[in-house]
Amino acid sequence: MSHHDDDLHGLLAEYETPSALVAACKKVRDAGYAKWDTFTPFPIHGIEKAMGIRMTGLPWIVLAAALVGLASAVGLQWWTNAVDYKFISSGKPMWSIPANVPVYFELTVLFSAFAALFGMLILNNLPQPSHPLDHLQAFGRVTDDRFFLYIEKGDAKFDLAETQRLLDGTHPVTVDAVNEDRRTSDQLPKPLVLTAAVIAVLALVPFAFIAKARATKTDKPKIHAMGDMDWQIKFQAQQPNPLFQDGMAMRAPEPGTVALDEHPDDEHLTAGKVDGQFVRTFPAGFKVDEATMARGKERYQIFCAPCHGVSGNGDGPVAQRAMTLAEGTWVPPTALGQDYLRQMAVGQLYDVVTNGVRNMPAYGSQIAVDDRWAVVLYLRALQKAKAAPVGDLTDAERAALK
Amino acid sequence: MAKTKETAKEGGFGDNIRMDGLASKLMGIAGGIGVIGLGASFGLGYTSDKSQFMHSYLTAYAWILSIGLGALWWVVLQHLVNAKWSTVVRRVGELLASTMPMLALLSLPIVIPALMGDSTLYIWADSQKMHADHLLHKKAAFLNRDFFVVRLVIYFVFWGVLSRYLLSKSVEQDKTGAPEIRSKLQGLCAPSMILLALTLTFAAIDFVMTLEPKWYSTIFGVYYFAGAVVSFHSFFALALMWLQKNGRLAKSVTSEHYHDIGKMMFAFTAFWAYIAFSQFMLIWYANIPEETEWYHVRAHGAWGTVSYLMVAVNFLIPFFGLLSRHVKRNRMALGFWAVWILVVHWLDMFWLVKPHMHTEHLPFSILDVTCTVGMLGLFIAAAAFASQKVNLVPIKDPRLEKSLAFENF
Amino acid sequence: MAMAQSPFDAPPQGENAFARITHNVARVAEVPKPPRGWYIAFGIALTLLSIFGVSIGWLMWTGIGIFGNMNPVFWAMPIVNFVFWVGIGHAGTLISAILYLLRQNWRTAINRFAEAMTIFAVICAGIFPGLHVGRPWLPYWMFPLPNQMSMWPQFRSPLEWDVFAVGTYFTVSTLFWYMGMIPDFGTFRDRSTTRLRKAIFGLLAMGWRGSSRQWHRYERAYLILAALATPLVLSVHSVVSFDFATAQLPGWHATIFPPYFVAGAIFGGFAMVVTLAVPARQFFGLKRIITVGHLELMAKIILATGMMVGYAYSMEFFIAWYGGNDYEMFTFFNRALGPYAWSYWAMIFCNVVSPQVFWSKKMRTNPWVILGVGVLVNIGMWFERFVIVITSLSRDFLPSSWGYYKPTFWDFSLLAGSFGLFFTLFLLFCRYLPMVAMAEVKAFHPSAHGHGDEHH
Repeated sequence: MSHHDDDLHGLLAEYETPSALVAACKKVRDAGYAKWDTFTPFPIHGIEKAMGIRMTGLPWIVLAAALVGLASAVGLQWWTNAVDYKFISSGKPMWSIPANVPVYFELTVLFSAFAALFGMLILNNLPQPSHPLDHLQAFGRVTDDRFFLYIEKGDAKFDLAETQRLLDGTHPVTVDAVNEDRRTSDQLPKPLVLTAAVIAVLALVPFAFIAKARATKTDKPKIHAMGDMDWQIKFQAQQPNPLFQDGMAMRAPEPGTVALDEHPDDEHLTAGKVDGQFVRTFPAGFKVDEATMARGKERYQIFCAPCHGVSGNGDGPVAQRAMTLAEGTWVPPTALGQDYLRQMAVGQLYDVVTNGVRNMPAYGSQIAVDDRWAVVLYLRALQKAKAAPVGDLTDAERAALK
Repeated sequence: MAKTKETAKEGGFGDNIRMDGLASKLMGIAGGIGVIGLGASFGLGYTSDKSQFMHSYLTAYAWILSIGLGALWWVVLQHLVNAKWSTVVRRVGELLASTMPMLALLSLPIVIPALMGDSTLYIWADSQKMHADHLLHKKAAFLNRDFFVVRLVIYFVFWGVLSRYLLSKSVEQDKTGAPEIRSKLQGLCAPSMILLALTLTFAAIDFVMTLEPKWYSTIFGVYYFAGAVVSFHSFFALALMWLQKNGRLAKSVTSEHYHDIGKMMFAFTAFWAYIAFSQFMLIWYANIPEETEWYHVRAHGAWGTVSYLMVAVNFLIPFFGLLSRHVKRNRMALGFWAVWILVVHWLDMFWLVKPHMHTEHLPFSILDVTCTVGMLGLFIAAAAFASQKVNLVPIKDPRLEKSLAFENF
Repeated sequence: MAMAQSPFDAPPQGENAFARITHNVARVAEVPKPPRGWYIAFGIALTLLSIFGVSIGWLMWTGIGIFGNMNPVFWAMPIVNFVFWVGIGHAGTLISAILYLLRQNWRTAINRFAEAMTIFAVICAGIFPGLHVGRPWLPYWMFPLPNQMSMWPQFRSPLEWDVFAVGTYFTVSTLFWYMGMIPDFGTFRDRSTTRLRKAIFGLLAMGWRGSSRQWHRYERAYLILAALATPLVLSVHSVVSFDFATAQLPGWHATIFPPYFVAGAIFGGFAMVVTLAVPARQFFGLKRIITVGHLELMAKIILATGMMVGYAYSMEFFIAWYGGNDYEMFTFFNRALGPYAWSYWAMIFCNVVSPQVFWSKKMRTNPWVILGVGVLVNIGMWFERFVIVITSLSRDFLPSSWGYYKPTFWDFSLLAGSFGLFFTLFLLFCRYLPMVAMAEVKAFHPSAHGHGDEHH
């Protein structure tokens, strides 16, 4: 086979059996060649040793990727669930390590697998679109049933005659000279580049839409893709319903319906009145003790203190805010220590809590009956605190005031 | 690089495969240590602090039993899947599995007190307490002394007969070379594996889980099994190393075999962690007090520290330690990890058993050492006893040649 | 029924074993027409696929009210189908990865199409969680993507773990499958007769030429992927089992669920492998590659994993009694004797009873018996998930909340349709891609080991 020396890329020997190839490898290895390789349809057992191939560093790459994967999984779950968007879920800790373990494991494996495959491809220099051997027709059997040994001319020890002799000595089927590949273009094929470019551009389109949506405002109404989810056939509050005489979907309770804690017959308890007059005593069965007082204090501080203040001076945070805003529409809450309020009947105080007065809204729907009486009790305690006669103090308290 | 091995067909094996004097020497030393160890335990413990003795004894027993059962499981598996790599080392495995009678004997200090109604370990040994409790009386049909003994007899008879049969048939093949022994044993090992799975599970339940009879876990048998496999393989590696150091099997057992044993140590370290985590996480997640109570004890105070420690020493450290193939192929390194794993799996048993005795502090005492050493000695002596007149390699097993010559990835 | 001899029945051509292997496998993709059986099967598969498409369309249009889900059984057939398909996928990974690590070289005859089966099964599986939610246009919410609501997924939920587990499983399986096919794509490329085929397979083969230096790294990567896939496959079905086991529901909350589900998955998966392998080897002329010996080994694995599943059933049963929990005990009585007893006993018959025929050598070496048992086991494994999910939900703690679940036509059409998707993809794979791992089969052929070489 004639060729020009500068055209030559290497010598290719073809073998029929794996053992012939392995035997040949040992000879080539022992002869000290470095730039050579064998090509086989399947991995030959024992050929790595015969060729002197060293163990690849791929496992280390995979280990590094595994650790990165693990760290990512730890960081991801910690950041998203314990820092940035915390919410309580069945009392589990915000950073629930036992619950995080499955994802730790999965991401470790995922990153490792990517490293194994892509690391292998990169280390193997794949994809490798062209190689001088491709132009040799006989080489087509490399993926079928023939075994090849190739020594590159670029090897320091390469000498056409010597190398040829060495190869002949290994009993190959043939030894072929392989020329440099001057036919295959170095460039990527144009259709491929074009397709890749088009796909890349198209892939950006959805993101462009998302970016546009994030950056702009619109006054158009929302697109309702699922009409039957957004407009459901059911009657909601405040909607009309022609089935009923009053035309409303909402139904009031039947006349005479009584709430669980209601006592319709006990006007003293539920309305603070007897025979149309406000009562001056607490209802029967109402215990005036520490527990009730504590309850009253707690309820007062929840419902009343925002406006009336913790001490009942009308200086609660809502009132203070209103003063700051100074919008001119605010009516200050009453200071509860005033004389007329100290003399007002408890029943009337109860009525005010239940039904409201002037600008104060009704709290009857928010505070249960017993609690309202407790609040009134506490109110009395607050009022007494502002105007207690000296005679009520103990000696110790009097001494402390001095 | 073909290895030429003379097989038994040519008469000489090419390697020392007989224990000869070594067996009696081992029996003497190990047996002696065993007797002294257990004797000291009885002396020290039974009279002074019975609870400490019983719990230390049970901890050590659960550990040694897991090694023996791991051996039996392994031998059955090798037959069942017609494994070829392990043939050369299988006889040693069979010998380790032949310790069932000794293990039965060693169970007596646990069984006899229970039979006599002593409820130091098992509350159910006291039938009065059982019937008095609104929950426990429902289980009294299972948790009572008589049924316990019946079950134990079933387990030990089955294990003893099976291990003996597997060893004797294998030894028979040494003489006759009959190839049908291989397929017969393979066929036998299929139903045997099923029965082994069940008996191992219930033994673990009986000895360990019923310490807390109000707690339960469906995976408990698998958990004990995982520990048994990893402990056995570690012990196995050390046994082979010791034999080689004493001039036996020096050429037959190669880095390839240690590599495979190491792979099992690695894989089952991970498997144990998977099972341990599954059990824990599911109970933690559902947060049902009936189940969490068992973990609650082990999650606080000194026991809590042990639990966290176990994540590191039972899983993370040996996992990374055994990851590299170079470690698995190096006798020193593998031996180190084998000892490590045996120690931390003893810790696993300690963690399973001892909280029953003390929930606040760790009841570690000298008795733990004497009981463990004692049982280990007697276990080794029993294996040495079985090894006296047999070859250390099944010389006429048809798979032997492949086993001698195999190479790993 | 005299027919012209199909090209697949002829012995493969080639002057040596390797060439014959190449021809045997490559001709499946290279003959101008696939066997008639393929067309019939493809026709059925496409029909079912259309049913799938129509069902999904109707579901999107109308909403999940078309399912039979009703108080108290709010999770029903869609999730059963999901677990069923994910389980089937596991056998492929086991064959690819675990049998590789165990040096079971017989796997090379079946690992390629088992891996393909895995990927298609996981695709079918992944569709169901997406479909069975109320707003199936929002599944991207399950992924930790930064969003304008400043919200993140809930990582304490097993359903979120599923996203990662099944996603990782699908990705790793696809990578593994593709990597395995690179050398075989090279073979197809080198045998291509048209430019289009050469271009496509050339692209897919990435220029693979079988360099031993490349084989070395390739084999290492294969080993690493196998070593990764092994714990992965255990983790995936364990995470799926966590969907149920983390709950407090009797019949769901059992610590043995993870290994029990994994054993069941392998059990059902192998059943699907034999269901595919027996007709495939028959119609594609692959009997010399996928031998009765291979089928027998698979039958044994089916028997073994079936026994593991039986072990788990027994443990659940025993502990239900031992635990003294009345609700737990009732669950098991209810399964066997309650309104769903028909499903329970179907499951027991298919899963526990039918594989027992494999104790007989005659039975486990008869391909058609193996196929029959494979089909029964698949049915049984579907029923197992049905029993677990639906019986536990239909009768839990409060008798006043009990209810009977009846699947609707659309529940069944989606299940049947998913088989359409699976078989369509699988049949296309058989026709166009290298169905058997040629390079691997060659590597373990006796001719690959000459004298002077070590043996495995």
